Amino acid sequence: MDLPEWIQPGIVPPGRPAPPSGAASRTARRTLGRIVRASALLLGGGGTPEGFLAGLDARAKLLGVLSLLVASTFASRPESLAAAAGAAWVVALAGGVSPRRLFLMLSFVPLFGLALALPAALSPVTPGQPLLVLLRYPAGSWGPWRWPADLSITAGGLYVALRLLLRTAACLSLAALLTASTPASALWRALRGVGAPAVFSMTAGMMARYLELLLRAAEEVHLAKISRGGAKGAGFERAWAAASLGEIYQKTRRLADEVTRAMVSRGFTGEARLLEDGRFGAGEVLFLLASLAGAVALALG
Amino acid sequence: MEAILEVDGLTFAYPGREEGLKGVSFRIARGERVALLGANGSGKSTLLYLLDGLYFSSAGEVRALGETLTESRLEDPAFGPRFRREVGLLFQNSEAQLFCPTVEEDVAFGPLQAGWPQEEVARRVKEVLALLEIEALQKRPPGTLSAGEKKKVALASLLVLSPSVLLLDEPTTGLDPRSQSTLLEILDALRARGMTLLTATHDLAAVPHVADRVLVLSPDHRLVADGPAEKILTDTALLEEVNLVHAHTHRHGSVVHRHPHLHTVLHHHHSEGE
Repeated sequence: MDLPEWIQPGIVPPGRPAPPSGAASRTARRTLGRIVRASALLLGGGGTPEGFLAGLDARAKLLGVLSLLVASTFASRPESLAAAAGAAWVVALAGGVSPRRLFLMLSFVPLFGLALALPAALSPVTPGQPLLVLLRYPAGSWGPWRWPADLSITAGGLYVALRLLLRTAACLSLAALLTASTPASALWRALRGVGAPAVFSMTAGMMARYLELLLRAAEEVHLAKISRGGAKGAGFERAWAAASLGEIYQKTRRLADEVTRAMVSRGFTGEARLLEDGRFGAGEVLFLLASLAGAVALALG
Repeated sequence: MEAILEVDGLTFAYPGREEGLKGVSFRIARGERVALLGANGSGKSTLLYLLDGLYFSSAGEVRALGETLTESRLEDPAFGPRFRREVGLLFQNSEAQLFCPTVEEDVAFGPLQAGWPQEEVARRVKEVLALLEIEALQKRPPGTLSAGEKKKVALASLLVLSPSVLLLDEPTTGLDPRSQSTLLEILDALRARGMTLLTATHDLAAVPHVADRVLVLSPDHRLVADGPAEKILTDTALLEEVNLVHAHTHRHGSVVHRHPHLHTVLHHHHSEGE
């Protein structure tokens, strides 16, 4: 093969190379990487859970956790809600969920919970005996609305905020217990146990599978661009992102067509027929009974 | 011998594009092992889709299991389900073929569509996974598997239906040598069971392992040869004409050789002669 003369190391024309990958490119790359990793974790690609909780049938876990979640919304005492959150943590950790994973899943709870609960502690939302005055201004009214002479944290408001925060923590801890100990694929399948149609379960499972695939494709497209040295600031990044959306959409369409053909090839005619799950064993029955007992205690306590 | 697949004057064109196949005709008898050779874009995958009743021709006829393949025929409850059970297509892209959340559900998909009893499906899934030595993958999401594992799962999803015909689209592409060799062993065992195998490939080294007979598609989408594997594989002029081998130059010290490059097959002969 006769190669052109210029194909040899160091034979390059004079030129001004694109500046090295800038902050915008770095941000885009890291964000994409994080999205892929987070979605892999949420969609079940983050490793197989271990421990006794992972060994339980997902339907039993789903039903048990659902009953506890419903009970948490009825529970009014902060002690009960704190106990529910604590119990969820203890069961999750004893059941084999890694502390790191649990921490990662729940790390946003304090911030998110405070943002939601803080307004409830203030006098305009929950009037009452002020505990701490934050701001003083003249009292007044506008139509049916009246406002007091100060902005303060009230005793009643603090109680409401604490309850809201603990309810959020209890519900999210229970949800984390379920999702950290169950692969997403098993959860989709378990939805049929609570009456979801088979076609919903099948579509949700497929969506999870291909969403991860497409996110990986987006990350690869971005890495390919970086590998060829193209990063020229935020404007370029935005233009690139818009352009690659089209490419990823094309890939999605091609993949969707191929998947449809694969389904038809194996006899799919539109009716979702899926594997049935086995019967509950002693472990599942025990877990369900314990969850139901906890739910009753939580709702009544 | 009874023909299980027959193609007569088959012409196919993708909407808005040039023809994908032009006037292709051949017949494959039950139990035959045939390779479909052709360069990239010659129409191999298209032909497999037509034989699997996923595409329908604009001219000519495709017959499978003694019936002409038409959309209405495949919608007939007396033929469609039987065809889907008896003819399996291994897609080139395993990502598309494995669309269920777990390996177990994927392998069970076909038998469940066929309406088989749940216990029978569960038993067969377990057995076919054990046969391919992938029982440990049963509960894994397909996205977490290696290329070789995905290919095995895709094959398991076909074998579980006890098909009569397997259409294989580039089965060894993208696999490491060990996975390739395992897959070829499996195909050999299937042939011994009387399964009809049609393997589309451009990997000439794999042909002797998967076929006794070879069909060759040219870059302009015509069937240009049909004959015994050993005859086609040694017809260098034909293989060069259809872009399956190419003139190759290499050096031995200061001496430059130029000869057709037959990849693994000829390289092997060279090393023996030298």
